[in-house]
This record gives sequence, structure tokens and C-alpha cells, in this order.
Amino acid sequence: MKLGVAGITGIMGALLAANGSAQMRTVTLPSKSPLVNVRLVFTTGAMMDPADKPGLAHLTAAMLAGGGTKDLTYKQVVDAMFPMAASLNNQTDQEMTVFSGTTHVDNLAAYYKLVRSMLLDPGWREDDFKRIKDDTINSLRVGLRGNNDEELGKEVLYATLYRGTAYGHYSLGTISAIEKMTLDDLKLFYKQHYTQSNLILGLAGGYPADFLEQLKKDFAALPAKDATPVPAIKPEAIDHTRALIVEKNTRSVAYSLGFPIDVKRGDPDYPALLLMQSYLGPHRMSGGRLFQRIREIRGINYGDYAYIEYFPRGMFAMEPAPNLARRSQIFQIWIRPVEPPAAAFTLRLAFFELNNLVQNGIPPEDFNRTKEFLTKYVNVLTKTKNAELGYAIDSLYYGIPDYNSYIKNGIAKLTVEQVNAAIRKHLRADRIQIVAVSANAEQLKKQLEGSGPTPIEYNSAKPAEILAEDKVVEKLDLGLRPADIQIVPVAAVFE
Amino acid sequence: MIWKLILLALTTAVFSVVNAQVKTFPFAYTQQDLPNGLRLVTIPTDSPNLVSIYIVVQTGSRNEVEAGKSGFAHLFEHMMFRGTAKYPPEKYNQILQRAGAASNAFTSDDLTAFYTTFSKEDLPEILAMEADRFQTLKYTLENFKTETGAVLGEYNKNSSDPEEKLDEVMHDTAFDRHTYKHTTMGFLKDVQDMPNQYDYSIKFFDRYYRPEYTTIVVAGDVDPKTVRALVDKDWGNWKRGSYHPDIPVEPAQQGPRESTIDWPSPTLPLVEIAFHGPAYSDSDKDWAALDALATLAFSRNSDLYEQLVVREQKVDRLVADMPQSVDPNLFEVEARVKKAEDVSYVREQILETIKKFQDDLVPSEKLSAVKSRERYGFTMQLDNSQSVAAAVARYIALRRTPDTIDKLYALYSRLTPEDVRAAARKYLTENNRTIVTLTGPAAGGGK
Repeated sequence: MKLGVAGITGIMGALLAANGSAQMRTVTLPSKSPLVNVRLVFTTGAMMDPADKPGLAHLTAAMLAGGGTKDLTYKQVVDAMFPMAASLNNQTDQEMTVFSGTTHVDNLAAYYKLVRSMLLDPGWREDDFKRIKDDTINSLRVGLRGNNDEELGKEVLYATLYRGTAYGHYSLGTISAIEKMTLDDLKLFYKQHYTQSNLILGLAGGYPADFLEQLKKDFAALPAKDATPVPAIKPEAIDHTRALIVEKNTRSVAYSLGFPIDVKRGDPDYPALLLMQSYLGPHRMSGGRLFQRIREIRGINYGDYAYIEYFPRGMFAMEPAPNLARRSQIFQIWIRPVEPPAAAFTLRLAFFELNNLVQNGIPPEDFNRTKEFLTKYVNVLTKTKNAELGYAIDSLYYGIPDYNSYIKNGIAKLTVEQVNAAIRKHLRADRIQIVAVSANAEQLKKQLEGSGPTPIEYNSAKPAEILAEDKVVEKLDLGLRPADIQIVPVAAVFE
Repeated sequence: MIWKLILLALTTAVFSVVNAQVKTFPFAYTQQDLPNGLRLVTIPTDSPNLVSIYIVVQTGSRNEVEAGKSGFAHLFEHMMFRGTAKYPPEKYNQILQRAGAASNAFTSDDLTAFYTTFSKEDLPEILAMEADRFQTLKYTLENFKTETGAVLGEYNKNSSDPEEKLDEVMHDTAFDRHTYKHTTMGFLKDVQDMPNQYDYSIKFFDRYYRPEYTTIVVAGDVDPKTVRALVDKDWGNWKRGSYHPDIPVEPAQQGPRESTIDWPSPTLPLVEIAFHGPAYSDSDKDWAALDALATLAFSRNSDLYEQLVVREQKVDRLVADMPQSVDPNLFEVEARVKKAEDVSYVREQILETIKKFQDDLVPSEKLSAVKSRERYGFTMQLDNSQSVAAAVARYIALRRTPDTIDKLYALYSRLTPEDVRAAARKYLTENNRTIVTLTGPAAGGGK
């Protein structure tokens, strides 16, 4: 692939650690496609939210992408984009805020004119602000707390693990903080953080030769000041396995569990842990170990997955979205909703599998197959130009070569011993944060405490080997004392 | 996985042919039938190395004609991963893993599709392995029962979303006889009874997993001749079946209907208004006219959206859809209302809007903008082999050939404001209407 990176030198990693050089950076992937992908990434996000204003970075980005400009009302923007089937999407995570869109090259000039005005000359209208505030509050209250138990569990896990750090709140913020925010808060955030030094301009597809220069010239209108130092992210050590049960009226029990790891893209053990992730299984990989043992053999739920990087909205996507880069990541297991009678057993089974992995490592034959898988699957991750561009921007951020070569080269050299050593070094089967979303929280709490057996009942005969394993699993001590299990009503979460 | 049409006009992906000489579907493809009735569509694209296969079986929840068997097409999609003598599930998964493949399946009203995206050198092995499971699938009673647990798990993971319930109740209320009465997921009582339906599952496979119901779509870095030779070798001996389902015809609705849903946990009220509409057609303008109307009247640049979402801010989501279905299906409009006291106002505004489209002609420049949007929307989704195969697969379910794409878009380009008004008058009538409202305890705030 042709990866053009301007303004970057060999000391890029060091510069990025200080949140960028003084100039905007660019990533370009020109091709003959009739489409043009635009990704404008600001290396700022929820980590920069003031302590009393969680959600400010998100609200600012949502206002830029979902409001009018100085000259055009929101309705006029929508009408102008409508015949092009184009839009400007925004995504705010802890470290990155991205504005992205795709247009046919026929419409590039008109589309870009709109995007430029939206990002450089925002309208900051009160009526747009009120609508976007409502949308954000409803996303929290209804979209997340009301309708999506799995995503809720995942976000509560992150917020709990990073409590006390700049990652300690969900990027959408809290309802009470959003209600109090004013347009002046947003304008100030925009002024402070939408700077040239925070900007990565990303372009892919069949754009004209002079288009990049035009973008650079236009976005030079942003402040050229030095980047604000980024806060250190040092999650608290977990001294004991603990559980948080979010209580709500729901049919089944959803779990997310994990702990922070000291490995991110570019670190020596990243390829080894990514291979481990492929072995346990990321979303929809039916060959994954967790999927096989929990769903395929036992028929307990719809699927079970593991991750070493942030993967929001997983239930709506086969592959993770790019531009969610973070300096600190967690290892997590995602257990899809389980019928309540099987809930305690399933959590014990996940711990059993994790313990097995840490103690025994990946068997050599599975290692070889997973290695082959990952070497080829990385092409699927970047199968669209838009994804390739997103990954290239992340690679710039992490200071690594293009992702496909980075993974292929990193994996080629790996031995099973190295991977298993990395597993022993970074993973563990104790000192885990568990989050459950469930009705009847007290009942679940009792089942999770101590080692009283919580057997499972199947609707069909199972092989003797599985039944014998179940006898061990049902009594597995999660290490949870009564004081380690907290219950919180759903109405209090992200309130 | 259940595949539900998202209620966005864009996803219906229809557009006008600006220049009648220009093919709407921009790829040259070959379409061939084997003597046993299996169809092969091969679409070479310029994306290097990767290949995407979609195997489309023209059966879906529409084919679930017997009482108590709702959700069976979807369950069977799951069973297809339970292995054969030659490729037990572990081996099947290991081969997919070695190929670095992304693989999955989905079921909708009219189709069940199995898809895999992988590097081109693995094409022979994957085609052979797929041929084997379509012809010699074999699973035990125990495996069958285990898989029904995964299907119940899928029901469970969907069940916290009120949209799923709204969809279920709307179809159950609006339809009396046709199988679109139930969702693809099926009724909960039927899903819970699935463990007892092993024998029926064998019958289902015998009926529908046959070459005359099946089309293989191969898109990507491929040569049609090579693909044909592989398909002849592995799929040529598959035996044709003889089953033809007797799908009940829905009688005309005789008056307006209504249902309400009490949702147990806090949420925002949902209002859905639906009308019995036409089946998909690439020759009769009614379907295309209602598809255009859904966009003109209810999409983000519509007057009603501007009023309810942008100006009055009483609604935070407004969508409409005329699904592409084999048989006549529902034209649906849905709004999520911020305050419970505005529900009846919003409902009236939607009905008022429909009346306007029955009384007045839409300005032709607005219709042109819709045609333009659909044209670009369609082109922009074809940016990789998997998307190309996916776009074709949905039309395979309808007409079993990509030819219908060009026909549909040519038809769309000829739509006039009169066509849109005529369709509104013909279908969006009070007698043909069903309204479902979902409300729960207040989500709080309600600003």
C-alpha cells in the first residue's frame, strides 16, 4: 500500500508522546477509486474533559457535526448533503475525536466546502445545542441504560477500572453534567483543543492532486499553539477480584470482566497478545476458544469474546472501528446475555477458561493455526479504503509501520513459548473486575460469593468429558467475598 | 444472526440511471445455471487478493408456513454450522481459521445467506467445504438441542431493545394469514419449544437446502471459468428437490387496527404507523414510488423531520421504510417521541403528512434530489468485494439475478410526482393502516 506521511520524522513516537509536534500531520492513501474518504482526527477527547464537565469533548464534536455553520442552518447543511448521499460522522473517544465521511469525487468540492464550514466556522446556535444535548442524554438514558445491557456492562467496566484517572468517565459523560453545560463551555473546549498540533488530516481515494494542499491551507486557520500536555493514565491496581452488579429489569444477565494491561500497539508484547486474543476469539469468530466452550459445546448463549483494545458498539459491528487509539488498554472478556439460571455457572466457566490459559498457555497446534489466521485476517480488517485510512492514522499515532505489515512481521517471528510467556506476564485469573447487568441482583450476588456449587442444567445429553469439567467449574471459587460485590441501580449509572 | 432491514431510506439503495446507457450495477458478471438448478453468479472486481462468497438460499421466515414453527429458517441457519462426517465443526472452523476468513450468516423474511471473505488461494478448499455441508449436513439430537440454546441466547441479547418488540407486535397485528405475521426471530414460545423440533428440522433441510433454492455469488479477485469448474466439481451432484411451499395470501385489511405495548423498563415512547404496501417489483412502479415517498416525506431533509426533530424538537428519531420483499409487506413510519404527552400530536402530524402526499404533487426537484441521493448511495456502498456480493445477495432473494438491479433503477428514474401521489392514494389508506404505540415508565428528565 502507498502510505504517504508528511511532517513525520523518525522521532515521531517521542513527539506524539508529547501530543504532537507543533504542526498538523497528514496521512494520505491516493487511489483510482471514484470515492474519496476524509478522516479528520483531533488527538483530543474525553480525557481532556474538565473534572466537572464529563462529556464536554463529545458534546463539542457532536455540535460541530450535527449543527449548522455560521452561514447555513443545520437544515440547510442536511439539504445540501442530501443529494450526494453524504454525511459527516463524529466519534469521540478518550484520546481521539474523528470527523469522517465519504463522497463521490463528483461531489467532492461541494462536500468539502460544507465540511470545512462545519469544522472551521461553526454556527453555535442555541436550538442546535438543545437538540444535541437531548440526543446525548437520551443516548445515555435510553440507548445505553435502557436498551443495551451489553454495551452498558462494557462501559461500566471501563469507568470502574479507570476510576480516578482521566479515562474514568464514559466519553458521552454523565446526564447531570450534560444538563448543566453551556455553549460557552463548548466554545472554550473548541478553542483550546481544536488546534493544528492536535490535527491529523487523513485522505484516501481518488481526490485531485492539489486537494491536500487546499486542506492544509484551510486548516491552518486553527490555532497554532503548542499542544496541551496529556494527563498520565495510571489505573489503580486491583488487589482482589470484585464485582459490580448493575440492577435493572431485564430478561437475562450480561457480563463484561477484565483488568488493565500494560500493552498497546507498538509495545513488544502486542503481537503476542493479539494472537492470544485471536485464540480466545474476537467478536463473531466461531473458532474462538470461548465461543467453542461456552456457546458451541454447551449452548449457553449467543457468543463469548475477548479483547485487548477498546471495542465499543461491538454488537453492531463485525470489526472494530479505527481511531479509538488509547495509551492504556484493558484485557476483557465479553459474555453475551445468559439465562439467569445459568448465570453464575457461566461466569465460573469464563474464569475456568482464563485460568486454563494462564496456567497452560496456548497448545502448539492451536498456536500454529491462530498464527495463520491472523496473518491473513489482517487483510479483512482493512478491506475498505476507509478502514485502511483509519488504521494508517492509528499507526501514525502509535508510531508503528502500516498495520498489516506490523502485524504480519510481528507474528512471523513469534514462537509459542514467547506467546505463552507474554500471557503469563500480562494476564491472570485473579484480581479481576467483573460487571454484571442483571435483574434480582441480590440473588446473583449470593450465587457468586464463595464456592457453593452453582450447577448448570442442560436440555440435552453432554459428553462425559464436559460433565466432568462442569463438576469442577460449578464449584470454582471466584474469590469474591460478600464485601467485594456491590449492587448499583441502573438509574444511578452515568447519571 | 437476524438481519433486519434498517429503517433508513438509504439502505434501500435504489437510484435513477441518469444516463440510460450507464449500467447501474457497474460490474460485469457471469450468471450460469447448473443442470441441477443451482445458480452461480461470478463478479470479478478490482480488489486484489480477497474473495467474498455469498451462498443465498431463497428461504426465510416467509417459508415458515406451519403453526408453532416461527423462527425455524433462522434456527436452520445456525444448524448449518453443526458439521458433516467429512468436516465436523472443529475441522470446519479450523479450515476457516487457517484461511483468515471472516465468515457468518444471516436470515431475513425472504432469504438465508452464508458468507465468507478470505484470500483467493483458499477458494477451492472453501467452495468444497461449503458444498459438503449443503449436501451432507448431519447433526445429532444433542447438538440440535444445544444449538437451540444459542438461538434462545440470541433472542435474549435482542430482548432488551424495545424496537424488536415493536416490530414483533406490528407484524402480528397487521397480518392475519401471511407468514410476514411473525418476525424472523420468531415468537418466544416457538423459540422456547425449538428443542422439541428435531424431526421437523430434518424436514426443513430436506425441503429447502436444495440447488433450485440456492445461488452462489462469488465476488472479488476471481476468474469466472475457474470458479465454474470448481462449482461443477463440488456442487454438480447435488440433487434437486420437489417441495413448493403454499404461502398464504394476505386478505385485504378491512379497517384500521391498533395495538399498544407496555414496556417494563424506562424508555422513550415509540409510535409506528404502517400500511399494507406492495411487493418488490422491477416492472410495476408502486414499490419504487413508495420507496421514494418514504424518503421524501420522512427522511432527514423532509419537511416533517425539520418540524418535529429540528424545530419543535419533540421527536429524536423519524424513519420510514418500504422493505424490498418477495410478497406484499408493510410501509412503515416510526417516530421516537421525547415526551409521552406529545405522542398523539406526533401521530397526527405523520398522518397529516401522508394526507398531503395524497392531495398534492411533490415538487419534481425534490424527487430529483431523491434519485440523485439513491444513485450515489448505491455506488458508494460498492467499495469492496464483500459489499458487492452483499448488495447482489439481497436481489438474489427477490429475483435470483443481478439483472433486476438495472431494471429497478431504470424504473426509478422514470418515477414522476404523479406516480408518488397515486401510490400514496392507493396504499396509505385508513382501512389499510395499523398503529402500534410502545410506552414504558418515564426515562426521567424528558426535557
